[in-house]
Amino acid sequence: MRKEARKSTVPLVVLLLSCAAMLSGCTNLPATTLFTYGDHATRILDLLMPVFWMAVGVFVVVQGALVYTVIRFRSKQANAPVPAQIHGNTNIEIMWTIAPAIILLVIAVMTFRTQAANSYQPPEAMKIRAIGHQWWFEFQYDDGTIVTANDLYIPVGQSVQIQLEAADVMHNFWIPKLAGKTYMIPGKTNYLAFKATEAGIFRGFCAEFCGESHGNMHFRVIALDAADFAKWKTNFATTPAAANGTAQVLGLTGDAARGAAIFADAKKQCSSCHIISGTVAKGKIGPNLTYFGNRRTIAAGMLPYSTDNMAKWLQDPTSIKPGNLMGRVIKKGTLKDQEIADLVAYLDGMKFAVNMPAEK
Amino acid sequence: MAIAEHKLTSVSPATASSGSFPWRTWLATVDHKKIGIIYIVSAFVFFMLGGIEAMLMRVQLGAPNNTFLSADVYNQLFTMHATTMIFLMVMPMNVGIGNYVVPLMIGARDMAFPRLNAMSIWLFLGGGLLLYMSFLTGGAPNGGWFAYAPLTQVQYSPTSGMDYWILGLGLTGIASIAGALNFIVTVLNMRAPGMSINRMPLFVWMNLVVSFIIIFAFPTFTVGSIELLFDRQFGGAFFNPAQGGDAMLWQHLFWFFGHPEVYILILPVMGMISEILPVFSRKPIFGYSFVAFSGVGIGFLGFIVWAHHMFGVGMGPMANAFFAAASMVIAIPTGVKIFNWIATMWAGDVRLTTAMLYAIGFISMFIIGGISGITLASPPIDLQQTDSYYVVAHLHYVLFGGSILGLFAGAYYWFPKMTGRMLNERIGKIQFWIMLISFNVTFFPMHIVGTEGMPRRIYTYEAGMGWDLWNFIETVGTFFLAFSILIFIYNVLSSLRNGEVASNDPWDAATLEWTMPSPPPSYNFLHIPIVNSRRPLWDAKYPHAAGDDHHGASSAPSQVRYEYTDEETAGAKDIHMPSLTFSPMILSGGLTIAALGFVYINKDILGLPTRVAALGFILIGIVMVAIAIRGWIVDSRKDSPYLGQHH
Repeated sequence: MRKEARKSTVPLVVLLLSCAAMLSGCTNLPATTLFTYGDHATRILDLLMPVFWMAVGVFVVVQGALVYTVIRFRSKQANAPVPAQIHGNTNIEIMWTIAPAIILLVIAVMTFRTQAANSYQPPEAMKIRAIGHQWWFEFQYDDGTIVTANDLYIPVGQSVQIQLEAADVMHNFWIPKLAGKTYMIPGKTNYLAFKATEAGIFRGFCAEFCGESHGNMHFRVIALDAADFAKWKTNFATTPAAANGTAQVLGLTGDAARGAAIFADAKKQCSSCHIISGTVAKGKIGPNLTYFGNRRTIAAGMLPYSTDNMAKWLQDPTSIKPGNLMGRVIKKGTLKDQEIADLVAYLDGMKFAVNMPAEK
Repeated sequence: MAIAEHKLTSVSPATASSGSFPWRTWLATVDHKKIGIIYIVSAFVFFMLGGIEAMLMRVQLGAPNNTFLSADVYNQLFTMHATTMIFLMVMPMNVGIGNYVVPLMIGARDMAFPRLNAMSIWLFLGGGLLLYMSFLTGGAPNGGWFAYAPLTQVQYSPTSGMDYWILGLGLTGIASIAGALNFIVTVLNMRAPGMSINRMPLFVWMNLVVSFIIIFAFPTFTVGSIELLFDRQFGGAFFNPAQGGDAMLWQHLFWFFGHPEVYILILPVMGMISEILPVFSRKPIFGYSFVAFSGVGIGFLGFIVWAHHMFGVGMGPMANAFFAAASMVIAIPTGVKIFNWIATMWAGDVRLTTAMLYAIGFISMFIIGGISGITLASPPIDLQQTDSYYVVAHLHYVLFGGSILGLFAGAYYWFPKMTGRMLNERIGKIQFWIMLISFNVTFFPMHIVGTEGMPRRIYTYEAGMGWDLWNFIETVGTFFLAFSILIFIYNVLSSLRNGEVASNDPWDAATLEWTMPSPPPSYNFLHIPIVNSRRPLWDAKYPHAAGDDHHGASSAPSQVRYEYTDEETAGAKDIHMPSLTFSPMILSGGLTIAALGFVYINKDILGLPTRVAALGFILIGIVMVAIAIRGWIVDSRKDSPYLGQHH
């Protein structure tokens, strides 16, 4: 009796787990691959679903056969006679070799169709260059005339072709709701073409282990309606206006003009790694900070964009992203609180209006 | 249980000379059984270490934004967890059980090269210890067990961790290749009279297949990792694109080894299952040749699917299509095995011993792991699932649900033969259910979080992604999993002292190892048996139920004996077995010390003294190897009926 009770717990656990799995599958979570807004990811999902149901069928049949066999032929008595010594049947062997082969053939044909569609690079696609760095993403438009980082702006309804490269080690470019992964490999260029079908802000990740802060390398994709995207691009191409204004942070009032001076000060070293167009800051090691005030996040998706979080980053970058290069220059106490407030005022003031869609 | 009662014959233990130092018979042993046990015990210790690493990681991931571990420590832990479980746990555990059982199954007195066998175990241990030394000397390897270039180049991975990884695995690699050669020669040359290839037990078959896989796969890895060592130590540029090298070359070299490695881990376990299921169904295996040849097929196909680990790297749709098709084809022989196992139980007298429960658990979990593998073989789907927790789920269903559950089946099955005591069945069954359930609680949710976009190898994650609850459940599952391992340890320790004494043949089994006393004497068989069927022992016990199972020219019954007169047993002293020798251990120790020197040969830590010390280690190592080779030759001459003193 007890043995049977134990046995029944297994299907129960499996049942509960699969119910929970179904429920979470039906929730539009921030990074789920089951709610798609891009043609690349949608075609994958359309392939996954039939394969999934075939898999469920195979699972039920084979697992069922296993469990049924064990229950039915379980030894009933201690001195049962020796069962018939059957040791094979060629016809059955041929049958169960061919049956899975047929299922696999179907999956293979469907796979190759999806693969052909997903590897097609439309010639009219808008070209964007994406470069993986330890541990952030650089995005270049129009042959490098527009350079930004960690926020990838794309137009809705138009194919984009991402030209994927890496500056140091391998990274893997993944936007679960828009497209499957493609590696960013030093010394090699890969291409990924996809089309966002709805405006929205989507999660992106580096998916290949790329060193200490691999877990801290995210990005956002901001898919804008065609008109909004065109406006964004035009605005971004203009040089930011002279620093002006203030910000309240760390209980202090930061001054943008003072911040600009600090940023430009060679001794502070900001400008040796970062670019801000229209200023002396022309460093190419770190992300381009032009129009930083438009960013959705800080430090490649680590913190939501806010002046408080900017201050937090400037106080001690290593505490947010261990191993990052900026942490070798800026340590706890390197910048005084007033300097931080000024820099925040400067960077936060550098922005223009974008018709931001919702997080999807 | 209707187990035929046989007289337990007491045979005096090995007549091999044992000195005053009690450990000598172990440290200088060339007995395949003792070497097997050293493999098994050390692999189990590494299993504990790998498990502790896993638990630390699970604690870190149990809650979002956790700060229990730093990013760097987490990276070291997942690198060492995988390296340990693959190279220092499942592989040597397979080798250990194979070492113990294969010669017994084929009616041999030892492996073909007993001293080489001893070298393999000590070299494996040396490599494992070298790897773990890295924790004490400034950081364990942190580039992942796949060691992708250029992250493992010295500028991105400046600690000595990856050098320890290369050299430690290099040593275990030599051990594996030597061991594989030893298995091949043993199986091909030392089978008892009448045991033709198509009468070999399936466990022997799978060990033979795996040995060939090792011989073809490991050299690729060795070449790749030595090139990586040159990159790191001597400014080579094999894999560094900044200097004109090719990062993709490493991936191809690594996975050309890495995928066959998966079959190195699973095929011997499939062999164990193919022994255990028939015994506890009291039937022969269904479709012997199909099970054997599907193993051979998997062995071959395993070499043409490596790039399915690389669908995202931009090989192009044609290459991806080829590797996808090959990967799907490999599902067919795997399916054939599963169907044959189920058919073996069909219409049998299925006895749910602990070993049998584990074997059934293996099939059940392997079905899940196999099915999740199908989606990964489809490149478009793979692009969403690769590098996510879905893969972590898949690989654990295959390697834990598969290999490790199967190894527990083997442990419960052969423990009586190895120790002379039965493991406690009641505790064993409790352990099985706790392990099976907690395994699923730990790993099933990983399918879900992977589908929900959780990348793998991240040391932390933000709240609100929908991953929190599942990760917490996984962490809880790990603790129950660890608890089930503790139960097993308790079972082993208490059974060793108080367990029921095992007869020759406690399971009513079919193969030759069960004709011997438990544990067998050092020389194994007093008289080498004459084999005339696939199940020599079964046919001797049940001549009327033997069935049409002879598969050879002769249909005469096999001649197996396990009752000997005292006079015959006394004659055992005339059986010539190789003598104890420390040479293999000294040789392995020398290579390990030299490898330690190579870790630091070109390192700037502490300047010149480090290099001098490193050179010193290398020289000491070389001298030890030279001494060992001389000792080895002397010992061989002593034992050789042709070269040394005759007995």
